[in-house]
Amino acid sequence: MFATVVDTKALLDTVLASVVAGVGVTAVFAILIFGVARSSDMARNDRPVLAVAAGGLAVLAFAVVTTAIVLGIIVMTQK
Amino acid sequence: MSNDVVLVIVVATALAFDFTNGFHDTANVVATSISTHAMPPRIAVAYAAIFNFAGAFISLAVAATVAKDVVNADVITPTVVFAGLVGAIAWNLMTWYFGLPSSSSHALIGGVVGSAFVAGGADAVLGEGVLGKVLIPAIVAPIVAFVVGAIAINIIYGIVGRERPGTVNRGFRLGQVVSGGLLALAHGTNDAQKTMGVITLALIANGSLSSDASVPTWVVISAASAISLGTYFGGWRIIRTMGTRIIKMDAAQGFSAQGAGAAVILASSHYGFPLSTTQVISGGVMGAGAGKKLSAVRWGVAGNIVVAWLLTLPAAAAIGGATYGVCQLFGNGAAGPVIISALGVAGTALAFARRLRQEPVPA
Repeated sequence: MFATVVDTKALLDTVLASVVAGVGVTAVFAILIFGVARSSDMARNDRPVLAVAAGGLAVLAFAVVTTAIVLGIIVMTQK
Repeated sequence: MSNDVVLVIVVATALAFDFTNGFHDTANVVATSISTHAMPPRIAVAYAAIFNFAGAFISLAVAATVAKDVVNADVITPTVVFAGLVGAIAWNLMTWYFGLPSSSSHALIGGVVGSAFVAGGADAVLGEGVLGKVLIPAIVAPIVAFVVGAIAINIIYGIVGRERPGTVNRGFRLGQVVSGGLLALAHGTNDAQKTMGVITLALIANGSLSSDASVPTWVVISAASAISLGTYFGGWRIIRTMGTRIIKMDAAQGFSAQGAGAAVILASSHYGFPLSTTQVISGGVMGAGAGKKLSAVRWGVAGNIVVAWLLTLPAAAAIGGATYGVCQLFGNGAAGPVIISALGVAGTALAFARRLRQEPVPA
């Protein structure tokens, strides 16, 4: 009965995609903030190598978040 | 002539519903940004209005879904659509009056189902469509948003919990500008289309459009304008409930809630499940609060919201059905819709005047 009324596979895919996208993007954004905060702390403490490494992590996280947002907009336009 | 009068009333009522939809649902998008001071209230509301307007133009694919999947198209007349819209508007205004977030989408579906039921009996309602496209997604979506919000906030605290609060808060406030924009875009795409679908359906039922016609451009522009205007005028009472009365949130929780909401709405849209943005973002807000500390959520307020959700479909259906019944008392002409519209405009003006006197708009 349930399977005939609801497309169960689509429903499970929706749940999975929501969890992966929601948790994934917020986690990567948190890494971006972590990178920025650490980079600024390391630079203040005269530790340039660690400051650059943390900055690099922030840049990478920024790229991932931006890509996810662009993909999200593409998904919406294809609805 | 009489049919054309009813059609004009239906179009005006549909745009009024669209305005209340934007007005009522502004809170979904901006409340968390305002309560965490990511954006000043007026800027946040204007920002959401712009993205709502843009969102309405993104896709037209689901514009007729509301009527096609939940009621039998054969029973649809302009008066059935009018009565359904009155049911939705009345419920939206009641929940706004009491500051309760509830689903405009479900109010619209409930109103149309109720009026179609009174017009055509049980066969007029497509039970499987209501269950599969409305009720089950209505239960699943907010639960998923709750879980995503709760997991996300714990991961965030795990990653940035030991960093300087100043940098972290500034970062998440900036993130909220983006996640809030995405939510507004998704809202405009979903909700403005429902009004476009209803107006198009009324035009087809009246014989003004052929059944295979696409949504006219003037319908798209007027629906986009109505929802964005409603958004700009914003329902401050619901913003207060969503932003501060469920939980007192920090910027990271606001970002988690908006991120969870945007992810669920986008995923559901992609897989073709129509859902309520109100329910999803409320679930995200509760999840972000409960994920930090269960007692952080004011469960009494959350309970009131759940009751409003449960009542939305049957209450809007009852009002829609009763409205159709009253219209029929005046015959099949325009008299019923004209009288009910006049009474509705007068009642709404009184309610707004009373509320606005009690509720100064934040600067």
